[in-house]
Amino acid sequence: MNEMILMAHVLFGVACIVASVWVFVDVLNAKDSNLLRIKWISRAAAVFMWFSFLIGGYWYVVFYPADKAIILKGPWPFAHEYFMETKEHLVIMLLMLVTYLPMAASNNLAANRDARRLVLWVSGMIPLLGLVIEGHGAIIAMGVKVALLAKQM
Amino acid sequence: MNMENNPVSKYTISFGLALAISSVANALLVVAKEKSTVVQAQMRRMTGSHWITHAVIVLILFVALGLLFASVKSGRGIKMPVNRLIKVIIAGVLVAGLIIVGFYALSD
Repeated sequence: MNEMILMAHVLFGVACIVASVWVFVDVLNAKDSNLLRIKWISRAAAVFMWFSFLIGGYWYVVFYPADKAIILKGPWPFAHEYFMETKEHLVIMLLMLVTYLPMAASNNLAANRDARRLVLWVSGMIPLLGLVIEGHGAIIAMGVKVALLAKQM
Repeated sequence: MNMENNPVSKYTISFGLALAISSVANALLVVAKEKSTVVQAQMRRMTGSHWITHAVIVLILFVALGLLFASVKSGRGIKMPVNRLIKVIIAGVLVAGLIIVGFYALSD
């Protein structure tokens, strides 16, 4: 069950990244006909991120201590000491960025070039930071795996 | 009418500033709790997990600052050119990210 929770956390994180890229591309071609779609996709990105954050937070508090103990006894202790410690704090920043996206996208992007630039920067930073965080998650999972493999030898 | 100088909503400005400040506060809180066992223990006592307390503090700060900045000047909110707002947001996120990444990279 806890593996499903973890996969849901990753799934919603990826959905947030995809939605943000969608917003970025749509804003490059912002016109009256796609403004409503930009607003809804930016809201979807925020909802996906909040789901990912809450599910991941629950998993981190309830299930991660067991993984942490395994990682710290294995050959990749940095998977926790650096990557998890960094990830758990960068993600708060990402959550605020994605929460801000629908606010920035609520302006008339078809008519306002400055507002378009703002949304492009925000929706551009989200996938970059999101992919960094996804990469951190992969290294943490690998930290558990190499620790378990080392234990078997 | 010059469409390029259209202002954005007051919430876009106020929550953009709140985002930059809260991001830096997030990073500084990381340093504070990792350097001080008293701070970390206090944060753990508040919710049972220092990370939950950390997230709650930063998110409350984000919302509170956003609403505060929107309510100043008799409810008209803080005024700022959008280009400057973009620079403030990028600087806030970048500085906060570098503090977090640098702190854990350099700590024992």
